[in-house]
Amino acid sequence: MGQQILNGIFVGSIYALFAVGYTLVFGVLDILNLAHQAVFMLSAFVALALVENAHLSIWLALPLAIIAGGLMGIVLERLAFRPLRGRAGSNISGLISSLAMATVFEAIALQLFGPDTSRFPQGTFPDRMIQFGSASASLLQVCIAGISVAMMAVLTFLLAKTRLGRSIRAVAESPRAARILGIDVDKVIMLSFFLSSALAGAAGVLFGLAFNSISPDVGRSVELKGLAVIILGGMGSVPGAVIAGFAIGLVEVFTVAYIGSSYRDAVSFAVLFVVLVARPSGLLGQVAVREA
Amino acid sequence: MEDFYLAYQSLIAFVGINALLALSVYATLSCGQLSLANAGFMAIGAYTGALITLHAPQVPFGLVLFISAILPAIIAVPLGLPVLRLRGVFLAIATIGFGEVVRLAFVNWDFTNGALGLVAIPQRTQPWILWLMVAVVIFVLARLRGSRTGYALEAIREDETAARTMGIETTRYKMAMLAWGASIAGLAGALEAHFTFIVSPAGYGFGRVVDMLVQAVVGGTAMLFGPVLGAAFLTLLPEILREIGARIGLAPGPFRLFLNGVILLVVILYLPEGIISLPQRLRRRKKAA
Amino acid sequence: MKRALSLLFVASFANSASAADQGAVIGVAISLTGPAASYGAQQKAGIQAALADLGPGKLDVRIEDDASTKEQGITVFQKFINRDKVAAIMGPTLSNTASAADPLAQMAQVPVLAVSNTAAKGITDIGNFIWRDSLTEKQVIPGAFKKAQEKLQFKTAGVLYGNDDVFTKAGYDVMAKALEDLKVKVTGTQTFAKPDRDYNAQLTALTSAKPDVLVVSALADNAAAIVAQARQLGWKGPILGGNGFNSPAFIKNAGAAAEGVMVGTSWNSLSKDAANQKFLAAMQKVGVNPDQFSAQAYTGVLILAEAVKQSGGKTTRADIEAGLAKIKDFETPLGKFSFTADRDAQHEPSVQQVKDGKFQIVQ
Repeated sequence: MGQQILNGIFVGSIYALFAVGYTLVFGVLDILNLAHQAVFMLSAFVALALVENAHLSIWLALPLAIIAGGLMGIVLERLAFRPLRGRAGSNISGLISSLAMATVFEAIALQLFGPDTSRFPQGTFPDRMIQFGSASASLLQVCIAGISVAMMAVLTFLLAKTRLGRSIRAVAESPRAARILGIDVDKVIMLSFFLSSALAGAAGVLFGLAFNSISPDVGRSVELKGLAVIILGGMGSVPGAVIAGFAIGLVEVFTVAYIGSSYRDAVSFAVLFVVLVARPSGLLGQVAVREA
Repeated sequence: MEDFYLAYQSLIAFVGINALLALSVYATLSCGQLSLANAGFMAIGAYTGALITLHAPQVPFGLVLFISAILPAIIAVPLGLPVLRLRGVFLAIATIGFGEVVRLAFVNWDFTNGALGLVAIPQRTQPWILWLMVAVVIFVLARLRGSRTGYALEAIREDETAARTMGIETTRYKMAMLAWGASIAGLAGALEAHFTFIVSPAGYGFGRVVDMLVQAVVGGTAMLFGPVLGAAFLTLLPEILREIGARIGLAPGPFRLFLNGVILLVVILYLPEGIISLPQRLRRRKKAA
Repeated sequence: MKRALSLLFVASFANSASAADQGAVIGVAISLTGPAASYGAQQKAGIQAALADLGPGKLDVRIEDDASTKEQGITVFQKFINRDKVAAIMGPTLSNTASAADPLAQMAQVPVLAVSNTAAKGITDIGNFIWRDSLTEKQVIPGAFKKAQEKLQFKTAGVLYGNDDVFTKAGYDVMAKALEDLKVKVTGTQTFAKPDRDYNAQLTALTSAKPDVLVVSALADNAAAIVAQARQLGWKGPILGGNGFNSPAFIKNAGAAAEGVMVGTSWNSLSKDAANQKFLAAMQKVGVNPDQFSAQAYTGVLILAEAVKQSGGKTTRADIEAGLAKIKDFETPLGKFSFTADRDAQHEPSVQQVKDGKFQIVQ
């Protein structure tokens, strides 16, 4: 039982990290960025390349991959989202153009790294187990959970206390009003994408480390899970995404343990559904979800 | 020439099936709703049709198709009631969830052999049946568009709140189009099942519904022929690339995927009303020049 | 634009008719893109190695991508049958694609040699023109499990399998039956989906029941992560796998965790037979670490060439069909190969265990 709780916390922390970036962009631009999972995947490959080919330590590769992720986000914003701004029906167009970019990113990954699954080389991370009573976790798992939580804390602090954070929240509230207030909306949006994609990148590298799997299609399953997380947490709410990430992680694990693993994914979608039907704003969301 | 036809007859059939699927997405897009549940409805139609044919082969194909089209529409109702109130992206997400649940249900259902699927389905779909269905669907949708219903749908798409204040029962129309879309997708599923000899859950995932959406949008939703054009273009594209690739010595690989993404991006950015709006745009540009 | 394209297509027919003097025309439909791309890549390498070893002029092989989808599988098959007028087809990679495309070949009376389809139903039972050189799990697992039980003496088992893939689900069905026949009690059964990467919950649930052995039906990518995570959770007992584990990718990605894993395989990579050694050498020359997929594809080419030989060098469809029927105890990297009465593969499977980072035969 204790082990399962640890499993849930562990995978939940990665879901949360992934979802936080996802929800940030939605809050700011009202657009579902389906390329988020592609950045997640490519950043993992970047880290792998840095560790395997450039022989960097993971402690250097991780921040570099995170920055790479952020840069990919900027590319995304310029190529796929900015040209659509101000267009009517831009939600659907944004969805589709982000999808197009995801396809492009996946093709790039396939071309550069091939379709096979890779893993970080042995010894990338020290191999040690830590006991928590009857349950055990590896040092890696503990670090991953810790790093996720730390990054989410930093983001929350940034949003709440810094000027950039306030600008982001203003733009999320109303781009027009923000512009009138003198905020450089374009720059804020660009920075939001940078942050969001950097977090996706971090999630990707940590995921690759955690589960020994890096492949061009690794983003797909996380993407759909991520949807359940941001809906449960409330679209646009970062703290909501954090709580929901852990919640979904734990729900999944307990479904496997007590109901059956075949139902695991179905339960996540059931949660998604129930939330949308019963309380569409999710746990902490404030974005308008229904037609007026 | 006959050899040419024989070599490509299934490709042409796939264009027809994808045209139906793109039209099913169009059905809900026409009133401004982005429903991504149609892969799930397609699966329901496909399995229904296959099960009937395999267990009760004496049932005439027309009846099989009819049941395969009706059942998804019936299932669309309890799905639609709770989710149609949701705005744009949220409706999309809810319907994605529905599609995944349907797929997972088939993966885990022993009666349909789970992942192994149903095999050796007799090939009852003939090209003429398929294209007749496409024509029928286009006809029905065209009639809907031209009628009062069509105006209501357009009003809902433009501004739902305004439409409601004008007295249009928006929920009823949206539900009707959801059901139509489900029905057309189910029909396409049954036709495909009886063409490719096999149904398995693998063909009805998120990727499938994305393909349908892309074909509808790339084709353009201003005219009914838009989705058909989009389906034709995107179904034929891999084969065109295959031929070109063979001639310029380009090995099959990620390049095709890359090109798919680039084409989609270019269309959505620069030709947002789809390929079908191209002649109109060129004409407008000529006029302006 | 459309007119020009259709003219282009029609004109291209002119090219394909002239290949008569280059041996039998064989169409190969494999997954070079899409989810099965890594298997297709291995298959392509195996095929090209076999062609190099055969020498020029024997077979005129055309390789096309089926993109891991049944739609493109069907389209490629039809192209092969009606445009390229192939004498035989090899592939497709996935069983589902095969169930959709093989019937077309059967109707057109074109022999098909499956080199990676392992589904029990829906392949060779389509008709007499469908053959396969890939052993099904039913032919591999029962013997492998029996031998494993002799060695390990296990009485209880926890089972984990991928339930959304034909390969692993069919494998599981056979494993469950084999365990039942061996009177092994299954203490728990868990599933995963192919895109999954986190198996901790399932493994924790399975190991908490303390079975004697863990039985896993998974493809190489998932298998490596499963085994690694199992060891990390503290599972020290034996692990038994199916065909999917039989790949160097499994050992590479699982690392030290692969040690001791026992696998029922249809290709004995360690066989000292001349045919296998030749295959290994050919693969080494192109720098590809071979697995079951390349071994079976390489063998497929050899079988087709042999079928031509058996029919006296004649290369029509009927000749190859007749030639295939004559193949008996043919030397291949898979061992002495014959077809069963139902055109399925027949050769000795083997049981292997990972020792010191390499597969070793279990006697």
